[in-house]
Amino acid sequence: MDKILTVCPYCGCGCGLYLHVEEGRLVGVSPSRSHPVNRGSLCVKGWNAYEFVVHPDRLLKPMIREDSSGLRECSWDEALDYVAHRLAEIRDRSGPDSIGILSSAKCTNEENYLIMKFARAVIGTNNIDHCARLCHSSTVGGLAAAFGSGAMTNSISEIRDAKVLFVIGSNTTEQHPMIGMHMLDAVDRGAILIVADPRRPQIAEFAHIHLRHRPGTDVALLMGIMHVIVNEGLVDIDFVRRRTENFDAFEHVLRGFHPQAVESITGVSIEDIRRVARIYAMEKRSMLFYAMGITQHITGVDNVRACANLVMLTGHIGLPSSGINPLRGQNNVQGACDMGALPNVYSGYQTVTDPRARRKFERAWRRKLPTKPGLTVVEMTEAAYEGRLKALYITGENPLLSDPDLNHVKEAMKGLEFLVVQDIFPNETMEYADVVLPACSFAEKDGTFTNTERRVQLLTRAIEPIGDSRPDWEIIADLSGRMGYEMQYRGTYEIMEEIALLTPSYGGMLHHRLRERHGLQWPCPDVGHPGTPFLHRKKFAKGLGTFITVEFRPPAELPDEEYPFILTTGRIYFHYHTGTMCRRTAVLEREEPACYVEINPLDAERLHVRDKFPVKVSSRRGSIVVSARVTERTPEGVVFIPFHYSEAAANLLTNAALDPTVKIPEYKVCAVKVEPVMKEDRRTRPVKVVDLEDLRIT
Amino acid sequence: MRSEWVLPKGHLSYWLRQLRNRASLIAPLRVDGDIVFKSLENIHEVSLDNPALLPSPKEFLLPQQEGMFWTEGERIRPLLNKERRFIFGVRSCDVSALGLLDRFFLEGYGDPFYRERRRNTIFLSIVCNNPDPTCFCIGLGTGPYLEKGFDIQLTDLGDRYFVQAGNRQSQRLVRQWSFLFTTPRKVDYEDQYEVFLSSKARFQKRISLESVREYILAGKVRDSFWESVSERCFECGGCVYECPLCTCFTVTDRSYSFGTERVRLWDTCLFKGFTRMAGGVLPNEKRVLRTKRWYYHKLVHYPDVLGSFGCVGCGRCTVTCPGRIDMATIAIKLRDLQDNGR
Ligand code: SF4
Ligand code: SF4
Ligand code: SF4
Repeated sequence: MDKILTVCPYCGCGCGLYLHVEEGRLVGVSPSRSHPVNRGSLCVKGWNAYEFVVHPDRLLKPMIREDSSGLRECSWDEALDYVAHRLAEIRDRSGPDSIGILSSAKCTNEENYLIMKFARAVIGTNNIDHCARLCHSSTVGGLAAAFGSGAMTNSISEIRDAKVLFVIGSNTTEQHPMIGMHMLDAVDRGAILIVADPRRPQIAEFAHIHLRHRPGTDVALLMGIMHVIVNEGLVDIDFVRRRTENFDAFEHVLRGFHPQAVESITGVSIEDIRRVARIYAMEKRSMLFYAMGITQHITGVDNVRACANLVMLTGHIGLPSSGINPLRGQNNVQGACDMGALPNVYSGYQTVTDPRARRKFERAWRRKLPTKPGLTVVEMTEAAYEGRLKALYITGENPLLSDPDLNHVKEAMKGLEFLVVQDIFPNETMEYADVVLPACSFAEKDGTFTNTERRVQLLTRAIEPIGDSRPDWEIIADLSGRMGYEMQYRGTYEIMEEIALLTPSYGGMLHHRLRERHGLQWPCPDVGHPGTPFLHRKKFAKGLGTFITVEFRPPAELPDEEYPFILTTGRIYFHYHTGTMCRRTAVLEREEPACYVEINPLDAERLHVRDKFPVKVSSRRGSIVVSARVTERTPEGVVFIPFHYSEAAANLLTNAALDPTVKIPEYKVCAVKVEPVMKEDRRTRPVKVVDLEDLRIT
Repeated sequence: MRSEWVLPKGHLSYWLRQLRNRASLIAPLRVDGDIVFKSLENIHEVSLDNPALLPSPKEFLLPQQEGMFWTEGERIRPLLNKERRFIFGVRSCDVSALGLLDRFFLEGYGDPFYRERRRNTIFLSIVCNNPDPTCFCIGLGTGPYLEKGFDIQLTDLGDRYFVQAGNRQSQRLVRQWSFLFTTPRKVDYEDQYEVFLSSKARFQKRISLESVREYILAGKVRDSFWESVSERCFECGGCVYECPLCTCFTVTDRSYSFGTERVRLWDTCLFKGFTRMAGGVLPNEKRVLRTKRWYYHKLVHYPDVLGSFGCVGCGRCTVTCPGRIDMATIAIKLRDLQDNGR
């Protein structure tokens, strides 16, 4: 029995866990007691992270599509030669920008770096993006403009020392459980917890104040709070004067957000707005947290900017236990962004339009690089639909479940000339793939992951690759060689060396340093640097912090007579994203085997729907049938559907309306109608209610 | 047959090396900042001044994942793990837990997978000179040292170990290398007694589960109390996974092209799906029912059926529970309520 320290493959908390190996087989998981995030705990997904690795569905061999017989297995040589040949041919015929690459927030930093190098140096396009577009591109865009850096400013271990926790649009205890644990500890130690969320997530049970604003009105709510702060003289004037710019213009806009007006937009009472403003502003160790509830709107960037303005206004940033903390979803979504798997930046957020940065990469990679920013995920779909994009190379993503307005995505995939899918399990997107390449899971490779608190941690290979699968970085390096660009690395540590040379914030992130003390937090500019637990001390990354003015805009699609409900989508505790791993884990799948729609008891009564009744939920784009879950967690007029289930995909309903700046789709608001599926008489027939409590024998 | 010896400390690594030649030797080893049970490669990595290891040594008898059988067409091949193991460095509370696990798995219908592993495993436990702040075995008689029920118990006397063998199989392990051991003298017994006393004085938590049980049985604990407890449950399953006494498991099949494997996996009664019935009915859908059940099982049902609590005070759930609603915390909360006369 051997135990190997590695990092959880699910969420951005980045818990340290041991994989148990017996005779070359994974047999279990246990938490690390010394890890600064999880400290001997894990959530249920972490505890079960070993099981999916050996699931019978694992892709074992490369496959190529034969026109007549579907996919057939083939050798790596055949598959990669074919991919290299087709990509080169399409590039030469239609230009490099007719090819798009989707990287993955599930891949390591080293892999993301190589994939982005492959896109830019080998193919010659900036058309590279990944699923961060769909979750936190608003953060990257919004916070970078305000502070010069788009990441959590504090460390997770600082949470327990905070005095005020302001959590907006995050179901923390279920989606970032180990961060939730630290929050609960803080509350036990006397911190005040403020939760703003239209639904009632578990974390709200512990909140001293729970604001239930209408979905999509976050800007108004935050502006209202800031209005009170300015009006009551709670602004940190010193901070605003010395460390920020553009305050006057911002204040001018702010005047329009009188609490009365805000009350009528958000549905939150003036008293509550005032209370929150005072509590948040008056305590120094105040931490702000947000997640998808802020970012996944057409006003995603504005929401983030409003949050940034709030922390600047009160000077709650740049100190321990004081800052703004976007909670990143995927285990390595922070890293994938850091590595430049984005259409407009290289690693370390060095922009492709900056000639100096470009020259640096051109010299290092010995290739001329494209100058124009590329297409984003959703724009690639659009381009494919219109025939401008001919080929797509997808690593570890499943757009046919995760992207908004799936029927549209399907059409787009059909239109592609050439589609490569590289993954560990078969997924919905593979139906349209010309080549399928089997990749290794987290247990079979090494490299690094960067968690949501910017901690770069080492992943250690625990078992040999299953079947003929190979780590993503090996596949990319091999393919690149076949396209005439040698990528020779003896291991992931050599890739990291190259990253460190080209990326200032990762300058000191060498593998041998990361082995100690569970990794280092960036920025870590050189090999002597101990890492940075909290950001923007004394000075913002970009110098002065900028107040960016925001205006309130309502969601793109509001309920009306025909579609009277607001649909909001999200994750549930036992599952993760498109379910590739968790739905192949016996215990997790058993807990939540089927999709459902959460609906408020009052709405349910009006529709004559009881708990577990099947209902049809439809929007202008599609419809699904799911069972109803009647609960007060969801307010009246709003329904919630988890998006993990391909058999009832919530994204058939969602709206692909995009934020104008960063193109994040509005997953959190669209209009739907809910109809009972059963006939009227069956629904209204009275049933005898038996209270299980009465039957209980103790 | 004699069952007590003294082993000079310098002889321990020689003895362990000899044991390793007989079977696989598992011990607490230092790796990357933590100490975990794993197969011993280098004797010098053994670390005995460690806090309770996660998970408990139950993982060697009821592993997190265990193959039960393979089927290929008509053929069925049972998978019984017959590997011989010595587990060195376990704690007294974990050994006490084995006694109850044995009764659970072997009384009445005997579980063949457990039986096979149990038969082939010898536990070498160490008396706890320095209990963790989370330990409370002292109120339960399950530690820090044991009078009986152990295979081999070692007490650290500074420059030597006091060694006790609890059964014939274990006695043989000592007698085979008898030249390493000496006969205990009076001073050894005295020193051992001293260690017991000083260890007992070091406990930070003193908890009487008996009074908690009485309080619950008197019907004094309101449902609102359990509500407030269960609200904090993250449904991580950690308490059950870590506990040396919890035995929940589930069974699942994995069908490959070359056959089907049936495996059993750790599960927990704290999940609503654990008791799902035909037709999708969830008798314990409300979380509070499950939390309450867990405590009732450990504090009420276990003593009724097996005569002792379903808890040996190892403190692992205190370490692992993200909601801080572990056995010790709840027992202390209830005691405080009781003291306040409510
Ligand atoms: S909290 Fe996140 S990183 Fe930690 S075990 Fe759970 S899923 Fe994994
Ligand atoms: S209930 Fe907690 S303290 Fe008691 S034996 Fe189980 S894990 Fe240890
Ligand atoms: S360890 Fe705590 S949070 Fe996790 S299941 Fe047990 S009681 Fe719930």
